[in-house]
Amino acid sequence: MSQGPFAFVAGLAGGLRTTARTMRRTAITQEYPDVLPDLPPRSRGVIALVEENCTSCMLCARECPDWCIYIDSHKETIPATTPGGRDRQRNVLDRFAIDFALCMYCGICIEACPFDALHWSPVFELAETDIRDLLHERDRLAKWAQTIPPPQPLDPAAPDPAELAASRKPARPARPAADGAAAAERPARPERPERPARAERPDRPPRAERPAGEERPERPARPPRVEPAERSMPLPRPQTDDHGAEAPRAAAPEAPAAPEAPAAPEAAAAPEAPATAGEDATTQVLPTVASDPVATDGPGAQA
Amino acid sequence: MSVLEAVIRSVAVVAAFLVLPLLVGQTEHKFMAHMQGRLGPMYAGGWHGWAQLIADAAKFVQKEDVIPAAADRGVFRIAPAVALIPYMAGLAFIPIGDGIVGADVPASAFAVLAALGVGILGHLMGGWASANKYSMIGAMRGAAQLVAYELPMVLAVASVALAAGTLSLSGIVEQWQPWWLLWQLPGAIVFFIAALAEINRTPFDMPIADSEIVFGAFTEYTGLRFAFFLLAEYAGIVVMALLFTVLYLGGWAGPLAASLGVVWTLLKAWIIAAIIVWMRVSWPRLREDQLHRLAWVWLIPIALFQLALTAVVVVMTR
Amino acid sequence: MTTRDIVFICFAVLAAGCALLAVTTKQVVHAALWLVATLGTIAGCYFVLGAELVGLVQLLIYVGAVIILVIFALMLTRAPIGKHDDLATPGWQRAIAAVVGASLTALIAAVVLPVVTDAAVDIPASTNKGVSAAIFGVWVWPFELLSVLLLSALIGAFIVSQVVRAAGRPTGGEGR
Ligand code: SF4
Ligand code: SF4
Repeated sequence: MSQGPFAFVAGLAGGLRTTARTMRRTAITQEYPDVLPDLPPRSRGVIALVEENCTSCMLCARECPDWCIYIDSHKETIPATTPGGRDRQRNVLDRFAIDFALCMYCGICIEACPFDALHWSPVFELAETDIRDLLHERDRLAKWAQTIPPPQPLDPAAPDPAELAASRKPARPARPAADGAAAAERPARPERPERPARAERPDRPPRAERPAGEERPERPARPPRVEPAERSMPLPRPQTDDHGAEAPRAAAPEAPAAPEAPAAPEAAAAPEAPATAGEDATTQVLPTVASDPVATDGPGAQA
Repeated sequence: MSVLEAVIRSVAVVAAFLVLPLLVGQTEHKFMAHMQGRLGPMYAGGWHGWAQLIADAAKFVQKEDVIPAAADRGVFRIAPAVALIPYMAGLAFIPIGDGIVGADVPASAFAVLAALGVGILGHLMGGWASANKYSMIGAMRGAAQLVAYELPMVLAVASVALAAGTLSLSGIVEQWQPWWLLWQLPGAIVFFIAALAEINRTPFDMPIADSEIVFGAFTEYTGLRFAFFLLAEYAGIVVMALLFTVLYLGGWAGPLAASLGVVWTLLKAWIIAAIIVWMRVSWPRLREDQLHRLAWVWLIPIALFQLALTAVVVVMTR
Repeated sequence: MTTRDIVFICFAVLAAGCALLAVTTKQVVHAALWLVATLGTIAGCYFVLGAELVGLVQLLIYVGAVIILVIFALMLTRAPIGKHDDLATPGWQRAIAAVVGASLTALIAAVVLPVVTDAAVDIPASTNKGVSAAIFGVWVWPFELLSVLLLSALIGAFIVSQVVRAAGRPTGGEGR
């Protein structure tokens, strides 16, 4: 009551109002046994097995934190189909069981399976009266495979998968020319490994090279488009002042160069003095820099 | 009063005592559920779970009656009855229509208060006899609460009795006029708060605060004896709501009072009970010392002020 | 003998029995509970005699009082369940209590017995109005005197508790 009785009473009235408002709304209760719930497609109900896909590789069983996947298999020899050919061996699955009394629905087995043999199914009515009955054998797991929902259409706004993103990495045409210099310089710069993370954004411009066949033409207007000529500037700075956070911010004011920005890609594309190019490389996104010349050549070649 | 009439009245009171608390309980189930975005019981009895409480009672009957080894068996056994019967007695004195009352006595307002005061004794006995510290704390809290809140309550009732010039509840309803709503408003508020505290309802449910002391005096009770305590709680709501209706809302006064009087009383009482439920859903529990502060610092002065106001108006108008 | 007489005698016997149990039981809380029973049956006697208001007041006030008594019994003795000899009253106190009780009984008997005759006494119908008129008319001074007595007891209790706290003696509970 420190704020006086009026605030106190107002608070009480507020409480009453809230509950009254909730009462006017429809209840959110799902009347489950009568009305089956409308589960989202990625619900983790039970793990289904697509037997044909399983190679008995045991990866899932080994990754399972609970060790609740039991797999038995034996090898079978397939005689050569052509005379003089070599016999082949193949794994045959004898037993595949998951103990759902132990499973904690982490989904690691499903992630681990390299052959898409395991899937989540939204079926969830698994209750048993005896805990031992929760050990489900492959026939049951296979039956659930019928209930696996079709994969969701991709969200158009979703980011590219990592592999795609990596393959779309900007071409760095300056690369081949600078290669030797950069390689020579690299060991001399101890701070380099941490730089890219920091400077990554300012350096996006190279990405803008993608415009070649890409959308987002407005992109170049972004501050990152630091003039290649200026790029030699920001670099020394972090050396003196190690708090990298400042670097991008400091770079921003220089961005007024925006009008010229569209020119940036070309500038970047143009071969430059080896030193600058080398620095360019250091500020590039990590994967390419970290890899050896052969790898760095790749994107360059693409472009 | 012939023997037959006495029997009929008693049976009617017992029936009301068994039915009305269930109605309040069902109201609570449903109100609470919908205020929390739920549906509440939906199965028992078929239609919106109307028979849920009957099913609960059937369940309670089947449960084992456990008495703790260290308990004082005799006191432990009779405590639920001591808690329950006073409410039944109180209900018998409250008129719900013109002349419709279990036992018409001249000082019925006082009789109800006296009966209600005894109920807490059951909690105290149960809490002490359980040989459990939580039960003990709950019982002590309940007793302290009763002592603190009975005074403002009696003062508030005294004010109405003074205004009506009678201690009879029927007489009070006959004298009641709509402007009393305003005149007796402070007293009505005091009575309402004190009633909540006396029947241990939120925000004054520290005696059974389940998050602090398990279930207070009822911690060790199971089965039918526990059900009796719960029934006493809901009977308490019924008695308090009816008493409030009769004292402050004019009881059966309303359009067509001659034929619909009982309906009016029950409807008003039901609305009061619904408000009590509403408060339970909306508000947190007070702390024990806040409870006593509220009683001694606010309610008693307001009740005394109401008494003085009533006295002044009565002296000036008569 | 009318029905009323029989009911009255029943209540009176019950009251006497409960009172005896209240003073003879070895358990603190049981004594308090028997006291409630005693007072309740006395209220029953009042009802039978037609003094309804007095009976109700008896219930309302004394039940509340006994509840406070129980609370104090619990707080002062920890009131264990079962018999405990260390809580038993020493013999000399019992003797004094017996003497006091006996002399009080004798006093009341001396006042009441001489007026008991076989002649039926006509009990005036006790109405609420009658009781209030009596309290605020004939008996107003004793009534006020009692109020003053209670008030002084209240203030005394308050002062005692404050002095004890001020003296810094441990008071059992935590101060505020
Ligand atoms: S979901 Fe996790 S715990 Fe369950 S089987 Fe797969 S890996 Fe094991
Ligand atoms: S990881 Fe996949 S393929 Fe390998 S054993 Fe498990 S389910 Fe079969």
